[in-house]
Amino acid sequence: MDSDERALIERVQSGDTSAYDALVSHYLRKVVSIAWNIVRNAHDAEDLAQEAFVKAYQSIGRFRSGEPFGPWIYRIVTNLSLDLLKHRRRVRHEEISEQEQAPRRDEAHVAAISGEIAQRIDEALAELPEMQQVVARLNLIEQFEHREIAAMTGISEGTVRSHLSLARTKLKEKLADLYD
Amino acid sequence: MTDDRFIERLRNDAAALRYEPAPATLTRIRARIQERISRPTVAQLLAAWFRPLAATLAAVAVAAAIAVASLDTSENGFGDTSVEIVMAGDSYRVGE
Repeated sequence: MDSDERALIERVQSGDTSAYDALVSHYLRKVVSIAWNIVRNAHDAEDLAQEAFVKAYQSIGRFRSGEPFGPWIYRIVTNLSLDLLKHRRRVRHEEISEQEQAPRRDEAHVAAISGEIAQRIDEALAELPEMQQVVARLNLIEQFEHREIAAMTGISEGTVRSHLSLARTKLKEKLADLYD
Repeated sequence: MTDDRFIERLRNDAAALRYEPAPATLTRIRARIQERISRPTVAQLLAAWFRPLAATLAAVAVAAAIAVASLDTSENGFGDTSVEIVMAGDSYRVGE
């Protein structure tokens, strides 16, 4: 962690809300992107990012001095996003399954995918089981390492590797025509 | 294609899937966060209400205690400034 960030956190801990805005500004783009890659909906991703920063602020007093802020806020937003997925799953279960639910996509999602190859990758990722998809997106798109994904999602590093290995095999099959 | 090469190319191509919120969206989220963290919490609101009330009650209690104490003092005769002199079996009171 750089000394600027440490100084900002100390100012926030002593009640300076403007110092928190500097932290938010530094991490917001990445936090929204993580949420979006998990929940796949721009509106929800924005709300989750907001919620994550408010939650982090409320417990900033317990934040250990010297620790980097990034992994902490990434873990909070990942947990909130996974909770939303769980909630959606529960709601889907409770709904009468006569009509097939449309995938939660939005216009921002379509706009975010530029190019045919990216679109094919996105479709292949979307067909993976939920946790494989989350781990694969965090690794391939957000470029997080196994250890970081394990810390963010609360699953073991071994399980992350296993999800990624399965995802890789399926993606290689589905995208064979692109990468042969 | 080897696994490593496949992953390398996949990562390169998948980078295009990163979500880039519009600057206006980021500004809006930052404003909402600032608004929420600057808003006083329920505990702070209650404290703001109860602090002057508690100060008033404390002042009333101190005033009452002083009043009771001075009342007790005058009833015990400490306010009496006369002096009693006993001389040859007779007592004389001087000063009042």
